[in-house]
Amino acid sequence: MPEFDVVVIGGGVSGLRAAIAAKRAGASVALISKTHPLKSNSAVAQGGINAPLGKDDSPEALVQDTLAAGDGLCERSVVQSFAAEAAREVLWLDRMGVPFNRDKEGRLDRRAFGSNSRSRSCFADDRTGHIVLQVLYEQFQREGIARFEEWFATSLAVDGGACLGAVALGLRSGKLDSFSARAVILATGSFTRMYFPSTVSVGTTGDGQALAYQSGAALMDMEMVQFHPTVFPKGQGLLITEATLGGGAEIVNPQGAAIQIVKGAPRDRLCLAIVAAAQNGGGSTCLDLKPMGKDKILSHFPQTHELLRSVAGLDCTKDLIPIHPVAHRPMGGIETKASGETSLAGLFAVGECACNGLNGAGRLAGNTLAEAVVFGKKVGEAAAAYAKSAAKMSFPAAKLAAEEKKLAALGFGDAAGDTLGNVQAEVGRLMNEKVGLTRDAGGLQAALDGIKNLQERHQRLRVRNPSKIYNYELTSHFEVGAMLTLAEVVALAAQARKESRGAHYRKDFPAADDGNWKNHTVARLSQGAAQIEKKPVAN
Amino acid sequence: MEVTFKVYRKDPEKDGKPGRSNYTVEVPDGATVLEALLKIRDEMDSSLAFRCSCLRGHCGDCMVRVNGSSRLTCTAKVSAYTQKGPEISLDPLRNVPVIKDLVFDWDAFMWNKIRATKPWLDASETAADGESIIPDAPLQDLRKVMSCYNCGMCDEGCSVLPVDFDFLGPAALTKAYRFVFDPKEKDHKERMKVLEGPKGVWDCVHCYEADEHCPRGIEPTKRIIAIRDEAFRAGITNEKVARHHQSFAASVKESGWLDEGRLAVESEGLTNISGLMKLLPTAAKAMVRGKAPIPYMHSKRPGAEQIKRIFEKGEAEKK
Repeated sequence: MPEFDVVVIGGGVSGLRAAIAAKRAGASVALISKTHPLKSNSAVAQGGINAPLGKDDSPEALVQDTLAAGDGLCERSVVQSFAAEAAREVLWLDRMGVPFNRDKEGRLDRRAFGSNSRSRSCFADDRTGHIVLQVLYEQFQREGIARFEEWFATSLAVDGGACLGAVALGLRSGKLDSFSARAVILATGSFTRMYFPSTVSVGTTGDGQALAYQSGAALMDMEMVQFHPTVFPKGQGLLITEATLGGGAEIVNPQGAAIQIVKGAPRDRLCLAIVAAAQNGGGSTCLDLKPMGKDKILSHFPQTHELLRSVAGLDCTKDLIPIHPVAHRPMGGIETKASGETSLAGLFAVGECACNGLNGAGRLAGNTLAEAVVFGKKVGEAAAAYAKSAAKMSFPAAKLAAEEKKLAALGFGDAAGDTLGNVQAEVGRLMNEKVGLTRDAGGLQAALDGIKNLQERHQRLRVRNPSKIYNYELTSHFEVGAMLTLAEVVALAAQARKESRGAHYRKDFPAADDGNWKNHTVARLSQGAAQIEKKPVAN
Repeated sequence: MEVTFKVYRKDPEKDGKPGRSNYTVEVPDGATVLEALLKIRDEMDSSLAFRCSCLRGHCGDCMVRVNGSSRLTCTAKVSAYTQKGPEISLDPLRNVPVIKDLVFDWDAFMWNKIRATKPWLDASETAADGESIIPDAPLQDLRKVMSCYNCGMCDEGCSVLPVDFDFLGPAALTKAYRFVFDPKEKDHKERMKVLEGPKGVWDCVHCYEADEHCPRGIEPTKRIIAIRDEAFRAGITNEKVARHHQSFAASVKESGWLDEGRLAVESEGLTNISGLMKLLPTAAKAMVRGKAPIPYMHSKRPGAEQIKRIFEKGEAEKK
């Protein structure tokens, strides 16, 4: 059995950054990733990464903008520590080789992005995530960290109230193996694939959140799911970076007439305004990139231009692009401290699968990548330090055999013609309609009833493919199970929060209720059922 | 629209022999090839193995050959491939060791070669505070190169890899370009040794197929030629290649054209007996056909003196 000080699960920006930091802090490290790290959902991030580097900018200004977007649910101390570190981490990325765009003086250029009050998002064209990910993977290889690429973590090993490692399935070998670890870092990304359409990759299924939750760790603010305002909504949904708005694009009606919308508003308000405009104006809303000029489109947004052509069949230098808000990134996730510690000893979480209170009820554009690297480093170092001091406990001997039994059991029985794809499509539709941009009591109850029914159908579904190698039906079974577990928590938390705040808009409670709800929601699994509690925001 | 997909199959848990499965499936208008594959796996055959991730042209995980041409299945529309009839063939990339169905061995195909080039900057963890001031132009070039999907389509188009699988290939060499031309790279002597060594840049035959295949327009051949130019500038470390270039230039300078026999023996090295022996079978075959160029028995071209003056002028300017 391989033994490590720190095992990182997830190979996106936060996982790679955590692995590098833990290794440089002296720990032996392994990284388990269900796809090749360069294919992870971080590659989809486009617009930029926030760093208060401008002469007119300061960490305090970044704190204020983050708090405003978070709409009362941010943990101020976490936001402050983030803002203090963001510039240093972006400069670290620059040193490691991210070819950030430069201004005329050769300094890091910064673009206007979302509701930032300053131009502070550093960027690499409109491929910031893709390029940051490549540079982190370069440094990850430089460290010689043990790579388990295309390994799917099926469970955490928990014994005596502590996480002692994980069990994972090698897609290529078809074999389960145990990974003994003093500390495990979950960096598995978000769960937005439970919505359809969404802006995320096929594997963004909340695996880590579900593993943590089922192992006894708490989830926080799960009802807070950010929708992205400027998405071409057909097919799988194609996100057009909001940085186009900062760059001069306009939101217009299908005839090309401008719609009066405050472009720098937080995303939740922009989304509601776009939906309202579509309803009042007859049908759809469009994004018009032409005002920024063809040269700027091609030089600053080359990928946007290329993908709109290949995916949507539209030329954004000439055509209007139909847009609609689409599910994007949750603010909620595994409850952690700033150090990434969860409520389960030895288990850490970072990035989009975690919720440390940075984002509150709404993410500020450009904070996601910055969060991933700032806290990736912090959490990697914290886990390495924990691994050094933690008492040595042995990996539970029976764990692997139990896991093998669990996998084998998925192959027996009759699913009566139902499929994983059907179940996933239905949960996607249900979440989008009932637990989407707007919610109400009746819809949430209908969603919960529907999710219960889908959970039962999922329980009956069998893995028909007996193959061990690259059995994507088997991994999908885990992924759909994770999404259904978390969908229930999202809907329950949304049901509990009887107010509107940030990304959570209740038609039946349209106002914020600071008296009762300046609180996080915290979900725990207690005797097989989800329990939702309030936790005060520490200011 | 009802479409039949004829899909390459290989099962390493059975006989491992290649075969083909046909799936006839109803796909909606505007559907992508990837959406059709996902539907087939969900509804018809859950054993079908293929990779995909981002679903919309960001990540380069899902490339296969669609009707013979390499494509990302997530941006390939079914309707673009059914004009001659409702049948689409799907195969793995060429030049690639297949593991199962459309899933191939990334490491053997590409990543082991990329790793052999030391694909990282030796940057210091702690450096002086503040921003590095760099003009945008070289970084703009790097961003273009780093838009790379790492999809391997350039390697699948390469003319050398089918005859020499150990050639580093355009994907690894394009990745190396990103470091050689990074203003932050302090010293690339060691990197250049690898790039210039056996199986490196000098093995490229500049057929430009990689450029034709690259879905991002990165022009890998141009990058390989730029690394060669950098090797000329920095001093070639590959002795055989250095001898080859010296001999080539000396021959043209002296006679106005290439003395092929001289080039062959001088490239091997006049004292390299075993290398010279290896030339003998080829020389013998050429001799039988009356085509063996005898080294140094080489008449001057008309105008050779003018060509020599061009060389001398260039050498004087270089000094």
